[in-house]
This record gives sequence, C-alpha cells and structure tokens, in this order.
Amino acid sequence: MRRYLSGSPAPLRQGMLWTALALLVLAGLTYCALHPASVPLPAATPVGSALGGIANAGFQRAYEPRPFVFPEDHGAHPDFRNEWWYVTGNLMDDQGRRFGYQLTLFRIALSLNAPPPDSAWRSNQLFMGHFAVTDVAGKRHYGFERFSRAALGLAGAQAVPFRVWLEDWSLTGTASDALPLRLQARQDEVAIDLNLRAVKPLVLQGDRGLSQKSAEPGNASYYYSYTRLPTAGTLNLGGRRFNLTGYSWLDREWSTSALGPEQSGWDWFALQLDDGRDLMFYRLRRQGGGMDTHSSGVLVATDGSVRRLGHTDVEIKVLDTWISPYSSDRYPSRWAMRLPGENLDLIITPRLPDQEMRLQVRYWEGAVTVEGKAGGKPVNGQGYLEMTRYEALASP
Amino acid sequence: MKPLLWRSLLRHLIRHPWQLVLSVLGIALGVAVVLAVDLANASARRGFALSMEQVTGRATHRIVGGPQGVPEAFYTRLRVDLGWREAAPVVTGYAALADQPGQLVQVLGVDAFAEAPFRSHLDGVSTAGGTLTALLTEPDAALLPSNVGQPATLQAGDRRLTLRAVGQLDAAILAGLIITDIGTAQALFGKQGWLSHIDLLIPPGATGAQAINDLEKWLPPDLKLEPAAARNQATADLSAAFSLNLTAMSLLALLVGMFLIYNTMTFAVVQRRALLGRLRALGVSRREIFTVVLSEALLLGLAGTLLGGLLGLWLGSTLVHLVTRTINDLYYVVSVRDFSIAPLSLIKGAGLGLLATLAAAWLPALEAADAPPAATLSRAYLESRWRAALPRLNLAGLTLLGLSGLLFKLSYGLAAGFLGLFLMLLACALLTPSAVILLVRLNQQLTAWSGPLARMATRDVARHLSRTGVAVAALMIAFSATVGVGVMVDSFRSGVSLWINDLVNADIYIAPLAQESGASGASLRPDVLVELRATPGIAALSLYRRVEVTLNGKPVQLLALELAPAARAGYHLLAGQPRAAWQAFETGTAVIVSEPLAYRHQLRVGDAITLNTASGPRAFPIAGIFLDYGSEHGRILLNRRAYERDWRDATVGSVAVYAAPDEAVAVLRQRLETGIGRLQPLVMRSNRSIQEYTLAIFDRTFTITSVLRLLAIAVAFVGVLSALMALQLERAREFAVLRATGMTAGEIGRLVSLQTGFMGFAAGLLAIPVGLLLAAVLIFVINRRAFGWTLPFQVDPWIIIQAPALAVLAALLAGLYPIWRMTRSNPAQALRSE
Repeated sequence: MRRYLSGSPAPLRQGMLWTALALLVLAGLTYCALHPASVPLPAATPVGSALGGIANAGFQRAYEPRPFVFPEDHGAHPDFRNEWWYVTGNLMDDQGRRFGYQLTLFRIALSLNAPPPDSAWRSNQLFMGHFAVTDVAGKRHYGFERFSRAALGLAGAQAVPFRVWLEDWSLTGTASDALPLRLQARQDEVAIDLNLRAVKPLVLQGDRGLSQKSAEPGNASYYYSYTRLPTAGTLNLGGRRFNLTGYSWLDREWSTSALGPEQSGWDWFALQLDDGRDLMFYRLRRQGGGMDTHSSGVLVATDGSVRRLGHTDVEIKVLDTWISPYSSDRYPSRWAMRLPGENLDLIITPRLPDQEMRLQVRYWEGAVTVEGKAGGKPVNGQGYLEMTRYEALASP
Repeated sequence: MKPLLWRSLLRHLIRHPWQLVLSVLGIALGVAVVLAVDLANASARRGFALSMEQVTGRATHRIVGGPQGVPEAFYTRLRVDLGWREAAPVVTGYAALADQPGQLVQVLGVDAFAEAPFRSHLDGVSTAGGTLTALLTEPDAALLPSNVGQPATLQAGDRRLTLRAVGQLDAAILAGLIITDIGTAQALFGKQGWLSHIDLLIPPGATGAQAINDLEKWLPPDLKLEPAAARNQATADLSAAFSLNLTAMSLLALLVGMFLIYNTMTFAVVQRRALLGRLRALGVSRREIFTVVLSEALLLGLAGTLLGGLLGLWLGSTLVHLVTRTINDLYYVVSVRDFSIAPLSLIKGAGLGLLATLAAAWLPALEAADAPPAATLSRAYLESRWRAALPRLNLAGLTLLGLSGLLFKLSYGLAAGFLGLFLMLLACALLTPSAVILLVRLNQQLTAWSGPLARMATRDVARHLSRTGVAVAALMIAFSATVGVGVMVDSFRSGVSLWINDLVNADIYIAPLAQESGASGASLRPDVLVELRATPGIAALSLYRRVEVTLNGKPVQLLALELAPAARAGYHLLAGQPRAAWQAFETGTAVIVSEPLAYRHQLRVGDAITLNTASGPRAFPIAGIFLDYGSEHGRILLNRRAYERDWRDATVGSVAVYAAPDEAVAVLRQRLETGIGRLQPLVMRSNRSIQEYTLAIFDRTFTITSVLRLLAIAVAFVGVLSALMALQLERAREFAVLRATGMTAGEIGRLVSLQTGFMGFAAGLLAIPVGLLLAAVLIFVINRRAFGWTLPFQVDPWIIIQAPALAVLAALLAGLYPIWRMTRSNPAQALRSE
C-alpha cells in the first residue's frame, strides 16, 4: 500500500471489528489524505463524514519546494498528517530462488494537538506497518499488518540515530545517516534481516522534492527515494533459512492531502533495469477512466542523474487481467509501458499473479519482472508494482 | 378396580381438603427454599463468571507483578525486544460513580490495537463517529455501558474524572463496565507507569510450553506468569465456600421439608389404614396398594413442586440481591446483578421435590401394602408394631450418631462435614419417638396432680406413636435447624465483635479518602507522615500497608506493619509463644499469619512460606498464628522494614494514632484535621466507628443467613400447624365418643390444646439439645472447614427459648380449627359419619 488507499475495507470478520474499527479510521484518513475532506467518495462515505472534523485543518501542507536537510528529514514530520518509510526489493539466493519483500511503516497523526502528558500511553501519532514476502518458487505470498500508537517506545521514528520501528519491525540506520540501513521484520513463520546500502545518490521526486498529486495547491507531498540499494541478508521461512542478495528501493513521503475527487486510484511502478537505470512512475487513474494529468515519474540514470517524466512521456497499456479468487477484484496482470522519448519498450509481469495484500485495507503490491527493449537492444529488469482500488465494480 | 381404587383414595383427600392443602404447602415450602437459594447462587455465580469474562476475555495467561502491578516499560520490552505479539496491557480498577455514591463500576483501560485477540465484547462498539480516534486522543473519552448515564463522573480516590461517551457498550452483560484508553485509566487511578497486568494468549501444546519456558527465563524476578484461569479460580474459590454454606442452608430446609412431607404422607396412609385394609380384603393386591399410594404421593409432590417452583422463583429474585451484596461486601465487585433462571436449578428443585416426596412416601406405602388385611383394620396392631420397632430405631439412631461422630473426627473436607451433619440429624430424628415416650412418662409424674384430662392428653400422645412420633421428629428437626443456625450466627457475631474490639484499640485511624471509593491501593502522602510525626499529643503510631500477594497460587493479603506496642495486644496468638513470636516479627525475618491462612495451607508455627518479593522468591518462617476474621483467605503480618526492603515499596496505606495519656482525643482529632487534613483528603475514624462498621458489614453478610433461618422457622411453623391439625381432625370420631360419654365441648377443647401443646413443647424441647449439637457442628466443623475460623460457642438464651415457645404457639394454633369444628359439630352426626 504505497500511498494511501482510498479503498473501502474488505468485508470484516467478526471479532476483528476492533482492528477493523482502527482500519476504518485509517481508511478514512487515507481517504482524507488523498481527497479534500469535504467531498465524500461513495465507498468511504461513513468514515469520510466521520472524519470530516479532523480533516486537514491545522496540519501543514506541501505548497512549494523546501530545502531538505539530512539526516533530520529521514525522521518524522509530525506536523504533516501522513508519512511513510516504504521499502521493497527483489532478492535471490545462491540457487537462484527468487523472493520479493515489502516493509512499510506509516505514521499517521490523529490530531494536531498533543494530548495531555498525564500518561506515557498518550500520543496523537499512530503507526501502521505492512510486511510482505513473496516466495516465487513456493508460489506463496505472505502479508501482515500491525498497528501501534507512537508511545512508550512501542513505535516511533527518529532521525539521529536513524530508527523507525513498529514493535519488532524496524529500519535502523547509523548515527549519521539512514544508510547503510538494517531492516528487520518477523511475524509467524516469516523473518527477514537485511542490510541495505546506497550506490546511487538520493533522488528528489517531482519539483525538487515536491510531488504534486492533484490540482488543488497543497494536494502534494514531499517525496524522495533511494532507487537502488544493494541488499544482502537472510530470510527465514517456515524454518528454512535463505541467504539472499539483490536490490531494494526506499521511498520516503510525507503529506497532508494529495488526491482530488476526480481521481479514483493508482498504479505505481518502481522498476530497476539491468542497464543500470531505474524508473519510477505513478499512474493516477481518473474516475471515468484514463490517466490523470498529475501522473508523474522519474528515470534515474546509472550515475544518478534524473529525468522527470510527465503524464505525456509514458504510455501504459493493460495486456491481461487477473481476478482475485478471494476478493473478486480484477487487477491488471500484464502491462506494456512505453517511453517514446527514451525509446524504451517494456513488458511488466508479476512474478506471481496473487500478491494481493488482503489486509484490513486491500490492495495489490508485489514483485514484477521486466522484459523489453531499450534503444532496440534487449533489456531486462525487476521491480515492485502497487495497484489500488480495483474493486469488482470499479473499472481500471 | 383401578379407577375405583383411585376414586376411593382420592375421595378421602377431597373430603379432607385442609389436609390436602397443608401437605401441598409443606412440599411447596421445602421446594421453594431450595430452589430460591439455588437460583440466587446460580445467578451470583453467573454474574461472577461474566464479570470475570469481561476482564479476562480469551487470555490464557497473564503476567502479574508486585503490589503496584507490572511496570509498563516491561510491556514495550515484551513487544519490541521479544517480539511477543499476542499480548495486551490492562489497567483496571474500581471507581465510584459520583452521582450514585456506593455504586462501583469497573474501569477497564486497554490498548485498542492489542485488544482484538482478547476481548470480543468490544464487537458492540459502533464504527461511526471516529470512536477510536477519540479514545486515543481525548482524555475524557470512554465507552460507557447503557446503565450508566453520560457524562459519567467517576471518583477514584481523590481523583475525579468526567467521562464522555464516544460509544456505548449496550450489551446487558456489560453493565458496570467502562472501557477507556489505557492512558485514561492510568490517569484515573494514578497508576502512571504501571499496568495491572499483561494478558497473553499462549497456545496449548508443545509450542505453548516452549513459549512459557522462554518467557519465564526472561521474566524479571518481581514478575510472574500465571494461567489466567488461576486468578479467576482463586477468586471463585473464595465464593465457593460461601455458596456451599448457602446450599447447605437450603438443604437443611429441604431436610425439614422432607420430614414434613414424610409426616404428611405417613399420616395420609396411617389415617386410611382401615380403608386400605378393606380394599385388601376386597382383593386389591399389595402391588396395587403400593402403586396407588406412591402415585398419590407423586401427585401431591407434583402439585407441591409446581407451587414451590413459583414461590421459589419469586423468593430467588429477592435473594439474589442479598447474595450479590454479600459477595460484593466480602469478595469482589460483581458487576452483573441480573436474576437469571438457570434450567439446572429448576431441574434440581423439581427433582428434589418429587424425589423427596416419593422417598418420604416409600416407607408408609410399603408398610400399608405389607400389612395383612385383617391387621390393617386394627389400630392396635400398628401401634404395637411401632413399639416393637422402637429398640431397632434407637439402635439405628445410635449407630448413625456414632458414624457421624467418626466422620467429623476422621474426615477433612467440607462435603464430608455436611454428610456427617445430615447423618447426625437423621440419627436424632430416629431417636425422637423413644424420647417422646420418655417425656410422656416424665410428664405422667408431673401431671399426676393436674387431673385426668392432662394425663389422658399425654398418654394419648404415647399411645398414637405411629402418628405423633413422626410428627414430633419432623417438628424437632425443623426447630433444631433454626436453633442451630441461630446459635451459630450469634456465636460468630460475638467472636467478631470481641476480635474487632481488641484489634482496633488505637484512638484515631487515618486513611486516604481515596480508599473509600475503591482505590484500596491508595496511600498517604509522605508529607502527611512527616507532619503526623511532628504533631504533638500523640503517644504512638502504627503504620499499615495492605497489598495482595500470592501464596501457593492463591491471593492473600500481606499487611506490612509498624506496630505501636499497644497494637500488638490486638492480635491474639493462637499458636506460637507471644514474646518470641513478636521478637521474630520485629527482626523482619519471620511472619505471623492468620488462622484461616494457616488452616487453608496446613501451616504450623515453624513452617516457612515462600513469597514472591520484588527481588525474587523469599522464604519467611512462621513465628505465630493469630486469630483473625478479617479475611477468610488469610492474612500475613510482616514487619514494615522487611517489606520496604523486599518489596521496595515505602508507601503507607493507613495510620493508627494513639493519643498521649493526657490528651483529649477530640482535641487531637481537631488538630490532625486542621494539620495533615489540608495536605491530602483523609478520612479519620474513631475505633468505635470502625467497630460498628465492621459489625454492620457482618450483619449485612449474614442477612441472607437470617432470611434463610426465618424461612426455616416458617417451614417449621407450617409443619407443626399442618401435622397437628391433621392429627386432631382425624380424631373427630374419637371426640364424638368422648362427647357422647359426657365430656363437655370445653373439656375436649382443653384436651386437644393440651395434647397439641404437649407435642409442640416436646418438639421444641428436643430441638434445643439437637439444635445446640447442630450449632456445635456448624461452628466447629462446617465453618472451620469452609473458612478456617475458630469461633467461640456462645448461646443466646433468647434463641433457646424461641424454639419451644414458637413450637407451642404453632401447636396451640394448630388445635384451634379442630376444636372449633368439633364444638360446632353434632356428636351423633360425627359418630355416624365414620
């Protein structure tokens, strides 16, 4: 769930209602993050109206480019409503067995005002975590979520020394920087422990880090990425231990509001090509279908130099779809992406069709392979893809 | 033949409607009492279970700590360092509703994100309105039960907090439970930094065992992992003894009821012996007689059970309040006070009513069927058979008496104690006919001068032993039960009264006001203590701190004491050499334990108990055992310095002040109120008011017992009335003969009064020794086994006089109607009618 979902929650199981409650609120927050609070979306109406009261008022918004200061900006920005540390990666063991992983830690401000300091449990900051592992050979996808208030050391984010954690899911940097980064997460029979280091400089997305998501001023985020992070570490899966190497990708984004009412969902590509280039592109979909003009991306060269991509620079076509047997949502399962200006033609295929995150808020996020041609020469690659709001009724 | 047989027997009942009504009433009363008590018990138990479920949920284990609870930082370590997922922190406590003083509610402070696996009752929470955000971010947000108006102002100690409903818990079972965020609960109870406990979900089997093993290795010494059920079980155990006592009371009522039923049935059969004999002579088989008599009993039993069932439901709904109130006073707050009709209780009540009736009718039916046809026609045959059976009855009675004695001597359990009790009562009932004959003989000597009428009256009683013997035995049992229970409660009360008067011997007792509203852990502020020590006019101080600790898995109270010399006199040592015991106590190496604790855990002076201190388990030898009614589960006295050392807790819960010899208590109190009273809201009490308060609580606790005793008296009263009335009504023909031979109506009235009066008196008189025996068993066997208390045996003469007086009164009343009927009837007609 890269960027907040405005999707309606899956049908809730009895007994999970409490979590569901939390999630509904989150879904609502998500919705508010992406839409002006005053405009309800049918799927999210009850929550949207419920949360209208704590909408954007008072929170800072992203109106214009700002100077980024590191390592401070690796830490939390509590005056903005939402923030995330989003890590994905494609890894492989010595036998060539492939795995994908995702660890996302979200910070959500519940209110602007700090609660009274009469108990260490009080906090207006909430953390949500999503953790997934795709076992390609085993044809299995594991997805987990958890929540905690940012209090008592249960969850939190700090810049120096860099650490973002939600219980025992954590991203730990060094005293001076986020990278090299140690990523640890475990739940049930799945545990990963990885070391990530940077080979390319940090990329400021959008206009010097200001990523405009819709027309209204302030409907934007501050957004930077590390697009290629050589990664090594271990994965424990049901008692088996794998030594893995590969590449990861870190996205950092914080905002208070983003999408407009006319936008229905998005497809978010983070691709690493074996010619050394990295491509990020998010396609914002419009209510009636088609690509929104605020869709945008970057192409990062081997040396780290960046070319911005607008919505006219990229052509995207869905070649095939897959219907989730669990949710009946119909997701694209094969894409053609063309960047005419770069002479780049790519076919993007999920490593497993079913990498649906069946959490309280449902979406598809998973490892993909890339095949195609760059300037007439074959190029391959890998990456991660996020697709949201593909409910059976909504058209892609 | 069959319908005719039925009609002939039923006709009798219809022609004697009084008898019919009285037998049904006797059965109904017995059933009603048993059912009512059982329903009240079951409701209270259900309330308890639901109250527990609200808090425990699906937790299998919990981590508990010392007196203050579990440090919250430990929870973070559990989740973050150990990665333990299925864990939920809980801060819970009781608070008073400010607008309904005395009404306690339980506040359950939870972390919403950890709750889902544990407590499903949050399912009722509405998703609308941003409930979760409000709970997390607004310090006055709460989920309130529907029976609490909103906003609800809570008083926990000297803290007051008004909670606003952001959602409602409207399920009926959640009455009295308020859910807040854990931070709000901490602020309300002043438990910042602490958790009441941490709930855990550990799967059964090898994985779970491994998890427990790992966790235990990792736990700091002052924290403990225990099964969630253990604490609930321990709390439930506390009430088990109480509810067993209630059950025993109801069984006693049933026993009385059974005797009454037995009396009714015997009488119904005996009275129709001539008819039965005639039927036998006409060719009705024994089997048929037996069947029809039992069937009749069954019909009566059915009618009585139905009536008793209705009566029992009504009575039970009244009793349940008394029962829960007692439980609340003694043990814990039951937040569910609904009267629920447990099907099992209904089945039990119905079964008992029917079976008791059948059992009571069995012997008379057998006897009626067995008698040779000719003999049944002869009254003399029956009476002579009864007389011949007397030695056997006596032998059986004495054997049972011996058996019950052996049971008391050899057994240990409570159930065996009750068995012995019932055997003993049965034995006394069996010995009663002989005792009646003895009384008649004695009376013959005494009444030699009082004329033929009195002699006639008493000899008649002996002559009709087949009827009178059973009746007197039944009445005797009924009244002995009231005597026994009365003496027991009285002895108990005087024991408690003596104990509290000795124990509370300081002049002024000071505690934080907070303790008044459920915050039993509230403490005196350090500056209050400093100021107190500097206040002039004080001879000595005793400092108290009461905390709950666990001994062999059961919660017990630990009292950390710094005692003024005079305060020691309040603790009566039952075992242990006082001087040596107090010396050992003062060094802080040994403890003094209460009698119930020693009894329950089978401890003697010299044994050691192991307590889980803040620095790990530590063994304390027992230097003495003291008399204590303060807690049935036991208390441990520990020197304050030792407590501070081992539990690292320097707080003082309350203080006892001894005024200097020349200081007026009222003046000192005034000085304290203006001095330390301005530092912290405090309650100051005189020793007198504490003593009175204690006895008031005692009386409240035993309200239920008194009610049951009154019920038993009512049953006995109705029993006497019905038994004797029936007896006299049956003699209409006899009286007619007497009238015909020249006796006046007045003389016969006197004869009847003398006779019933004598029987009532005999029953009342015999009830005294049996009642005292019963009281002794209740005090020395039952209560000791249930609670571990030694009670003094104290007899209030009023209770002793009460039994025969009531019995005679009931007996005389019983004679009124037969006399009235007889004087109005024409002797000739009465003679003809037979």
